[in-house]
Amino acid sequence: MPIIDVHAHVGRWQFHLTTGDADTNLALMDRYGIDLQIVSASEAVVYDAVAGNAALREALETRPRLYGYAVVNPNRIEESAADLRRCLDTGRFVGAKIHTHYPGRMPGCREMAEAFDVVAEAGVPLLLHTWGREVTLLPELVDARPGLRVIMGHAGGDAWREAAHAAAACDRLYLEHCRTATDAGRIAYAREAGVPVERMLFGTDATLIDPCVSLGVVRDARFTEEELERVLWRNAAELFDLKVGTALPPVV
Amino acid sequence: MSESPQRTYAWLRPTPEEHVGWDVDVLYGPWPRHHRDTGLDEVRAHLRASPVAGALALSTRGPLYDDAAGNAETLRDLAGCPELRPVGTVDVRDAPTAEDRLDELAAAGVRFLRLFTLEQAAEPGFPGYRHVVELAIGRGMVLLHDGDPRRFGPPLMGRGADVVFLDLHAYLLADFLLMAREEPGFRATTRMLSGPDSIERVVGAVGSRHLVFGSRTPFMDISPQTLKLRYADISPDDRAAIATKNVEELLA
Repeated sequence: MPIIDVHAHVGRWQFHLTTGDADTNLALMDRYGIDLQIVSASEAVVYDAVAGNAALREALETRPRLYGYAVVNPNRIEESAADLRRCLDTGRFVGAKIHTHYPGRMPGCREMAEAFDVVAEAGVPLLLHTWGREVTLLPELVDARPGLRVIMGHAGGDAWREAAHAAAACDRLYLEHCRTATDAGRIAYAREAGVPVERMLFGTDATLIDPCVSLGVVRDARFTEEELERVLWRNAAELFDLKVGTALPPVV
Repeated sequence: MSESPQRTYAWLRPTPEEHVGWDVDVLYGPWPRHHRDTGLDEVRAHLRASPVAGALALSTRGPLYDDAAGNAETLRDLAGCPELRPVGTVDVRDAPTAEDRLDELAAAGVRFLRLFTLEQAAEPGFPGYRHVVELAIGRGMVLLHDGDPRRFGPPLMGRGADVVFLDLHAYLLADFLLMAREEPGFRATTRMLSGPDSIERVVGAVGSRHLVFGSRTPFMDISPQTLKLRYADISPDDRAAIATKNVEELLA
């Protein structure tokens, strides 16, 4: 059974840890048996979206197990819209990523609405950093944009209960639970709230966070074999239309 | 879409490298902000099903409602639990009574004092907090300390204090390491050291004696934390120190 990680990054973070480069992503993937990873450039997330996306385009050229998210900065929407098209044209980018903290824009503001419009028009999944009760706005924002599919990265962070109910209310919202503080019971709560396992995705936040943290969350969720297959790869393969090959790296 | 052959996930099953002798961060009882409560029986069953063999635990009654009654409850409840050792607490909002609380804990042989500055809205300069800490350090107690080590650590330096920081996040690691260089009694739990080399950096910079295991059961998943220990690139001796021996030394 393969594994697809839908939330990862390439590049350094401004903390006291070793994040390495794209080859570090691959080394960690081999360590845990992760086959494919969808990454955004940390430079694009925290500093310069266009420059970071450009650097990631180069890194993806020689690393077929990595796919890209083009980071969209809601404060530079025209520039980001053009850059998103440029990235998607390479065939190596399969989605868009929007952070909320670094650009200082949250769901509910004008700039974020325009960014959602841009991603909806592009027709690719959006990985949105979610961390707070603004997640309650997402069902209405997504329902208003036919075709937009949003992965709630970190599943709302501290607002994971609100995120679960938001996902239950909109069938184009997906939950992805990576974070450092792994509150117990988040997945069970989401399922009780009405989120089907078909809309749960596996993400790690590598290389900012070691993938074993998210793998531990999956272990403690006690999925059945069929559910595990859904969460670890099949849902992601369907959402991103990814082909999962048979030549898998060894599981260490 | 092609599918891959079945594989066995190495991380899905615990190994001996995940064994933990002592978990310093376990609670039981009501917590009104959480979506459900977990009693002592359920916590014990949860630990039995995990790689954690023993724990330092306390009732939530002490920090949230009544420190004296909570300490008495912890002592009474844990008397029949050989795998659990009692932890005491003092409400820093009622510091003039701290001496009585600490006398009661000393009479019961309790060595660990857990502080709840977040729940009790205490800051490092508050007189009540300073009074409690001064009494506890003077009695040679080990402080199990919540909150940001960057704020609470500096006032505890230069006093020969034994302190275990329970909320050290990987983002804050640099500041902790700078303090730990000068403070042999400063330790932290691995709970939120989620970076790919956070544990390795502590071991390499100041030694494994500065780390212990603390899961925050039942509020956090356990597997992400035991997996971090298992996959950390450290020696078996360092792993054993973090998982067991450092706490045994404090218990002695």
